Amino acid sequence: MWALRGLRNGVLTTRWPDRPDDYAAATRGPAAVLSEAEAGAISAAGLTSLCPVAAISQDQPGSVRVDQGRCIQCGRCIAARPDVFGWAAGPQSASGSRAALVVPADETPASLTAVSGQLRERTRALRRSVHLRHVDAGSDGSEEWEIMALLNPVYDIHRLGMFFTASPRHADILLVTGSGARGMAAPLRETYEAMPHPKLVIAVGTDAVSGGIVSPSYATSGGVGSVVPVDIWLPGSPPSPFAILSALLLALGRLPAAGSAGPAAASAGHAATGDRQ
Amino acid sequence: MTAFGAVLAAGLILLILAAATDLLLGARWPRWRSLPYLAGAVACACVLSAGAAAAAGRSVALRSGGLLGSVWISRNPSTVPGLAADRLSGLFLVISFAAALAVSLALASWAAGRTGPGRRGLGASYALALGAVAVIMTATDAFTLMFAWESLTLAFWLLSGFDRRKPGRPAAALVTLAFGQISGAALLAGLLLLVTRSGSLTLAGMAHVPAGPLRATACVLLLAGFAVKVGLVPFQVWLPRGYAAAPGPTRAIMAGVAVNVGFYGMWRTLALLGPPPSAVIAILLLLASLTAVLGIAHAAVQASLQRVIAYSSVENTGLILAGFGVALVGSSIGNRGLTAVGLLAATLQVIAHTAAKSLLFVSSAGIEAAADTDDLDDLRGSLRLAPWSGTGLAIGSITLAGLPPTAGFVSEWFLLEALMQQFRVPGLADRLVLAITGAAVALTAGFAGVTFVRLVGLVVLGKPRTRPNTAPSDTAASDTTPADADAGPGGRTGIVLLAAGCLAVAAVTPLEIRVIAAGLSPVLPGPAVTAALRSPWVLQPVFAGFSILSPSWLWVVMPSLFAVVAVLAWLGSGRNLLRVRRVPAWKSATAGVSGRDSYTAFGFANPTRRVLAAVLHTRAEVTRLDAQGAGTDEATSPDSGYRDIAEAEPAGLDGTLAPVAHVGYSSDVVEVVEEYVYLPFRRPFLVLVRAAQRLQSGRLDAYLAYMLIALIAVLAVVTAMH
Amino acid sequence: MSSRAEHDVAAGIPALWDRLDGEVAAGRRLADLFGTATSGGLLLSAQLAGPGGISTLDALVPPGRASYPALTPRIGAAFWYEREIHDLFGIVPEGHPRLEPLILPTSAFRRPEPGTAGAPVAIEPDPGILPRHTTGPGLFTIPHGPVRSGVVESLEYLVETPGEDIPHVNMRIFYKHRGIEKRFEGMAPGDGVLLAERTEGIASVAHALAYCQAIETIAGAEVPWAAALIRVLHAELERLACHLDVIVRLADGAGLAVATARFGWHKELVLRLTGQLSGSRFGRGVVVPGGVSSAPRTDPADMLAAIGSLERQITADVRLLMGTASFLDRLRRTGPLLPERASEHGALGPIGRASGVRDDARQARPYAAYGSLGTAVTSRPEGDALARLEVRTDEIADSFHLLRQAVDELTETGAGPIRTACEPADGRAVGWAEAPQGEVLYDVRIENALIRRCRSRSASFHNLVLMHEVFAGDILTDFPFIEASFGLSVGGVAG
Repeated sequence: MWALRGLRNGVLTTRWPDRPDDYAAATRGPAAVLSEAEAGAISAAGLTSLCPVAAISQDQPGSVRVDQGRCIQCGRCIAARPDVFGWAAGPQSASGSRAALVVPADETPASLTAVSGQLRERTRALRRSVHLRHVDAGSDGSEEWEIMALLNPVYDIHRLGMFFTASPRHADILLVTGSGARGMAAPLRETYEAMPHPKLVIAVGTDAVSGGIVSPSYATSGGVGSVVPVDIWLPGSPPSPFAILSALLLALGRLPAAGSAGPAAASAGHAATGDRQ
Repeated sequence: MTAFGAVLAAGLILLILAAATDLLLGARWPRWRSLPYLAGAVACACVLSAGAAAAAGRSVALRSGGLLGSVWISRNPSTVPGLAADRLSGLFLVISFAAALAVSLALASWAAGRTGPGRRGLGASYALALGAVAVIMTATDAFTLMFAWESLTLAFWLLSGFDRRKPGRPAAALVTLAFGQISGAALLAGLLLLVTRSGSLTLAGMAHVPAGPLRATACVLLLAGFAVKVGLVPFQVWLPRGYAAAPGPTRAIMAGVAVNVGFYGMWRTLALLGPPPSAVIAILLLLASLTAVLGIAHAAVQASLQRVIAYSSVENTGLILAGFGVALVGSSIGNRGLTAVGLLAATLQVIAHTAAKSLLFVSSAGIEAAADTDDLDDLRGSLRLAPWSGTGLAIGSITLAGLPPTAGFVSEWFLLEALMQQFRVPGLADRLVLAITGAAVALTAGFAGVTFVRLVGLVVLGKPRTRPNTAPSDTAASDTTPADADAGPGGRTGIVLLAAGCLAVAAVTPLEIRVIAAGLSPVLPGPAVTAALRSPWVLQPVFAGFSILSPSWLWVVMPSLFAVVAVLAWLGSGRNLLRVRRVPAWKSATAGVSGRDSYTAFGFANPTRRVLAAVLHTRAEVTRLDAQGAGTDEATSPDSGYRDIAEAEPAGLDGTLAPVAHVGYSSDVVEVVEEYVYLPFRRPFLVLVRAAQRLQSGRLDAYLAYMLIALIAVLAVVTAMH
Repeated sequence: MSSRAEHDVAAGIPALWDRLDGEVAAGRRLADLFGTATSGGLLLSAQLAGPGGISTLDALVPPGRASYPALTPRIGAAFWYEREIHDLFGIVPEGHPRLEPLILPTSAFRRPEPGTAGAPVAIEPDPGILPRHTTGPGLFTIPHGPVRSGVVESLEYLVETPGEDIPHVNMRIFYKHRGIEKRFEGMAPGDGVLLAERTEGIASVAHALAYCQAIETIAGAEVPWAAALIRVLHAELERLACHLDVIVRLADGAGLAVATARFGWHKELVLRLTGQLSGSRFGRGVVVPGGVSSAPRTDPADMLAAIGSLERQITADVRLLMGTASFLDRLRRTGPLLPERASEHGALGPIGRASGVRDDARQARPYAAYGSLGTAVTSRPEGDALARLEVRTDEIADSFHLLRQAVDELTETGAGPIRTACEPADGRAVGWAEAPQGEVLYDVRIENALIRRCRSRSASFHNLVLMHEVFAGDILTDFPFIEASFGLSVGGVAG
């Protein structure tokens, strides 16, 4: 019965990254700067009203920067200044370096390539078959849904040679979600120590990268970077499954060459109010 | 008296000396406590060599003239009583006394140790037991046999009741004695039946009794008597109690050495009288399968180490008698191959069981001495605590679980192969019974795996618990004591010998089969048994073209495969194989619990308790233990609930909460035979006994009247018979 | 939402407890018990839920007191609430049967104390002060967590077992404590909705709804009809996603690979639909104080088509699933929650409804557009995992019905205002919503146009304690089914 039912709808699985996928291309990433020139001067109060998590900063009038690692995708800045800010489109919002998440980035492509080159070297043995272990360090539950979605027939990470494992002894990549709850610091550290070399850590979600809106709090430590050494930072609240996939492929050095070194820039064609998800 | 007969006599005399030494010296000087056992060891060596000679075909005979001869009543005055060992006796002498030698060495160092016997008498009982075993196996006439049998019963009673101050021991000794008497009674009845018909007391003469109901009845009685000794259902209830009650490695004497007299008796009965009627054979097979299943079911769920090993004896009895049953079937239908494979399987299992059981009981005595406890839940990580005994326990467990490349694997393979030959039997009933027995044996093998994994995994391996009775200040002193408490030099030698027996015997199985073939020649011609040797190193179950096995090749291939894999792994890891990073065990990053946080021995047996609930009649119960009471004072003023900070005690959570267990679990199994076969008869039996006690009125005239009645009855019967 | 929330200050704690006893005996249910640190001492607030609405009763613990008489011996539902109060404020409920740290094990003197201005910088939880429960004879404890197998939230179960059965389960939930209640303080009301959404990330819309309704009650704002319909639309989509997630976990536990895959696909379609309508796959940023932030970005015909196609596929697969005997066998009589216990405790959501407690906030205390749309409340008497699944499948069918109704009403209403001004002055109000897990309560106190105290009580916190009660005769392999059938979110439990 179920076997026949399973054949009813044909192949549902996306072919991404080998073939382009519309939904992947339309993935909404964190906020990004469309055009710095239009920014003008923004007062401190203005910055606070633009962003509740203080992700937007301005060194001098005419230049404005968005720390995507702090962006919780509330859309307030885009609604207030659609000329300056827009959604970053595409699934590639992860980066190998925390500083590179502050856009427009001033890390040169060379240094970013160096970071990803080191990463690729470490994961040489894992390239085609890798086991993932997830730890929740104080998340709100939605990142776990998006990670679990990788197992549904639409995304199906098994076709990419990636598997989830229950034991950290078998794991190669540690996916950490959550804002670094202090109660989970020791268990997270223990899980990291239990994994054999070579291993990678991916901080999944804005909460894990910087603590999100839940920090500062007496019970969290502003992201998991202070507990375990993070290799890939993936912003998003929560990051969509394509973004997580792209972060995994970035970690393994399997992303197609174009745009593999850094987070995606905003694409000018998408205005704040009219984009499709 | 032949040369080897003199050796045999020397052995017996040494045993008498050992007994005398023990009774005279007693337990006063620890250094001399091992003397009786060392003498016993030498005696075992003598008897062993005599037995080897007998198995090889030399003549071993020890005849006595004199007083014993003059009271001998016999039709043929030229036959005088004495001891003689033919090939079958020789085989069993070799098996039993090789193990007894190793056990004696272990006893020697155990007796000198801290937990040795506290008073005289154990050595004498031990010597009595060994002497009785030797005499039973070399007896040529019924009187000697019965005398030695009763001595063995007495020795068992003395051994199991030695620690009579400990709880439960006197009752266990009494039960042992009772069942020993039952076996003696059955043997006596059978032998006397044969004696009346054959006219002479010699065992050889009984072979000439013509076939008929008398011979069949005698055969059944003899088999029943020997079955009580080895613990066939429904006579197995004394085994676990009796074995567990004996002190230290003497359990190995009882369970590993002395039990072989029962098997020897059955083999001898087959040799002398042939097979019993086929109905009896069918019943024997069914009882054997039931014994095997019941034994392993109970062994799997016991909480005490000694009981586990004792119940495993019951299971092995079932296995051995299953093989024996196949031989009986073959003998009754005249299929020599079937008889050969059955006897071969049974004898191989006897050898494996002797070695393994002795090893297990010797090791468990060492562990008990080192850990001061018998409870499986408290015995964790014995390998750390007592390395030699722990290794011995592991090897013995693996052998009895039937894992390659041990001797237990070979014997179990033969047993299953023997049972699979049931298609060669013409009758449907026989085939059915053999098939059922085969299924039961397979089931037993499976549960034996579970049972012994529990022993090896939890008792031998595992993290040792911290000893609660070592105070911190004593650690320096007590550091040396546990190491000393592990088997002394004698014990280690014994363990090494027995372990070598378990393992090496498998490697040289073809040689072993040749020895067994020689030993079984009173029953079967040699070539019938050596047909199991397909080629010098390959075995087959006597019938060609069925299946083959080569344990010797296993011994070559398994270590080489291990070595090859290890080398490949070392190379493949970039020569990093031995550079390990040690991290704590992964326990899902828990904050920790107190108490046991991994499977206990009790918990490990729980699935078995549930699955075999039909056989074990498991009863389980969850109990709510008392939690700490919530202490609030009941005051009436509205403000009473508040307490000011000034008078508040520090709100220490340790103060408000004492770690008290709140839930408990208990589970119990029932020995079904005891519950449903013996206990219902307790009442009527006691009524009968009380009625019979009235005969002991203490009045002289009553006793004289009884004697008169008895005399008249005997006169009447004798007159009627002539 | 409306002024059906009453507010009362009692004369002292014992008087408050007596009043609560009376109300509970009269049929109302203890919905929440929390504390607020005020200048006049610790204010304990109890909230009672009934068909009319939520009423709040307060009483003050005089300053300088270290303890107060516990409520738990009189009303058992207060068990975890009093432990939470102890953790956050350090005050001891005298007579509490088992006072152990629940969400914050620490021996620090400075406690978070929601309601006090300022917060400690960091409080490290100290697992060393957790009580060392010993197990009875024959039992051992399997610690499972906090890092469990599978992609799940962090929670530790201590399963006391003799090897196969489960006589008792303990839980340690403090690992994920994030201090949400303290974080609310000082936020602007418009920012607070962002934090409310991320308390229980899988019930974002319901939390935002409850919070916004509290803010709107304080501000006296009336939400436009179109906004109410859009709120219902997203709330029901969220309900669909959560119930489908539960079915995916149950099917995965039973090893039905095709069912797991298909329901995973359906859940993905629901999330994609939500993202299409609102821009966020979880419906975040839609519900704001005063209305909704934007209208759905798809036209109603497409919406109806999508909903219709989802409904057809999901209904067919649910029918097949509820006919798979091997699957139902795993759930029947597994994890039974007795109806007496459920009603005594006031179990919320599908857990309560599957044990005979006929309470659904959408019907008993309607909010948004539910009053006009009409919700059918299903309930079952058996209380086992199968009953909880059946309640959820009935709610799925009802959700589709509500979705279609909402879209139809939206088309009828046409374009219109979707947001009114909402500037809350000082005040206090309670808002509620029926999340997929059960009723969510928000008690918000505004002072100087900033949040002074925001109490968010999720259904998961209220319901998880029932996990102690449902292991009657079950074995270790039933554990994943019981946990999945509860369907709770640990983020809301740990706070």
